[in-house]
Amino acid sequence: MPLGTIERKPPAFFKHGMSSLSKLVVFSILSVVLMVADVRYGVTQPLRATISLMLYPMEWLSMRPQWLFDVAGRFFEGRDDAQAQVQAMTLKLQQQALRSGQVEQLALENLQLRRLLELRERLTSSTLAAEVLYDSADPFTRKVVIDKGALQGVQPSSPVMDDAGVLGQVTRVMPLVSEVTLVIDREQSIPVLNARTGARGVAYGEAGGAPLLELRYMASNADIEVGDLLTTSGVDAIYPPGVPVAVVVKVERRAESVFARILCQPQGRVQGARHVMVLEPLGKQVPARPPYERPSTLPIKGGPR
Amino acid sequence: MIMPRGQQLLLPANPWFIFLSLLSAQLLNMVLNMLLAGNAAWAPDFLAVVLVFWCVHQPQRVGIGVAFFFGIFNDVQHSSLLGQHALSYTVLGYCAVLIHRRLLWFKEPSQSLQVLPLFVLAHVLELLVRMLSGSLFPGWWVLLAPVLEALAWPLVSVFLLAPQRRAPDPDENRPL
Repeated sequence: MPLGTIERKPPAFFKHGMSSLSKLVVFSILSVVLMVADVRYGVTQPLRATISLMLYPMEWLSMRPQWLFDVAGRFFEGRDDAQAQVQAMTLKLQQQALRSGQVEQLALENLQLRRLLELRERLTSSTLAAEVLYDSADPFTRKVVIDKGALQGVQPSSPVMDDAGVLGQVTRVMPLVSEVTLVIDREQSIPVLNARTGARGVAYGEAGGAPLLELRYMASNADIEVGDLLTTSGVDAIYPPGVPVAVVVKVERRAESVFARILCQPQGRVQGARHVMVLEPLGKQVPARPPYERPSTLPIKGGPR
Repeated sequence: MIMPRGQQLLLPANPWFIFLSLLSAQLLNMVLNMLLAGNAAWAPDFLAVVLVFWCVHQPQRVGIGVAFFFGIFNDVQHSSLLGQHALSYTVLGYCAVLIHRRLLWFKEPSQSLQVLPLFVLAHVLELLVRMLSGSLFPGWWVLLAPVLEALAWPLVSVFLLAPQRRAPDPDENRPL
């Protein structure tokens, strides 16, 4: 028999290390400790950031096939396609030109009125353009990963939107990438305002995992109809006011429940966004809440019973 | 090790090949996720298959510890609960080490039937952990993943054993 067939090193007869069972116990306990630390105490962020940095070259590598498809697709995209696109854009531009004229006038008027009333200038937040790298592979949540991280100045809890509306919120920031929890995630909630009636509410991700939002805790007899636009209300000191969030698609008024079940279609492209905008959370610009003062009460006659 | 009669003697495995195969399995998972645009609960986890493969064929080199660390990496990449995959891979590694002497006596198709319960266990464990932590139920498609992983077993076996099946004394007529 040739020599290459055999392993040269003699097998370790006496030095085997820990037994499999004890290894299983040790590593299982370690995993459980990690999970508890992650969920309860949120102290695993440095570990995540480090590993994420180590994984970045692999992520870059795994993006290559998609990038290749994109380049090839652009190469073979026909002239007709491009012309059709130009026509559509021209039409859209014409439609919008009229409106934009009005908008400028309205903005001017608004500015003057605000100055007149000495109102605070409308809050502006700085923005950062980012690109969605991939949807998170975790089937239990609805998250995407974007290509901007702490090094580019992304802050946790920043709102993220695309050209159509709100997409979600940055929930975890790594050095080079960040995770955005979409508004359709079950754990995510967003304060909204019904643009038609002005009623405020809170929208949650649909509990069953459908790509929809659910407007909870609205009374059965509340004034809400299919087609109502929900925008951000701006009372949360995170989202800027007036950004479209969702459109009501279904109102279910049930006799057995005090609340109506209201489903809404998100306006941001939660399932195929490519280019997104990360806004700075408004919390830094809003003045701090005044200190709480305990109302002075008169002493009750006879004292406490 | 006592081997079944008539089985080919294998060359020693290259540790670098083992490491690279694990990395490429992870890469394959990532590419698959990009192509499916995420959230595909039924997508097979090739890293789990390759880990079980090496735990069975090279238990001295790849064991529960390696499985645990790859699990942590996977958790960060999936942005899931930190420790979720680590736990399931640890259990997977333990079960693989447990059955490694028996498994190699069977042909590949029967082997895949024998590793199916392992993958089912790993996925059920993950599901259980996430349900306990209050996450979304990903749908019954999740049950397809272990089946696909078991089906991938024979293919993975052929691929990963190929370098060890080369001739020990290559000559002109037998270059590989």
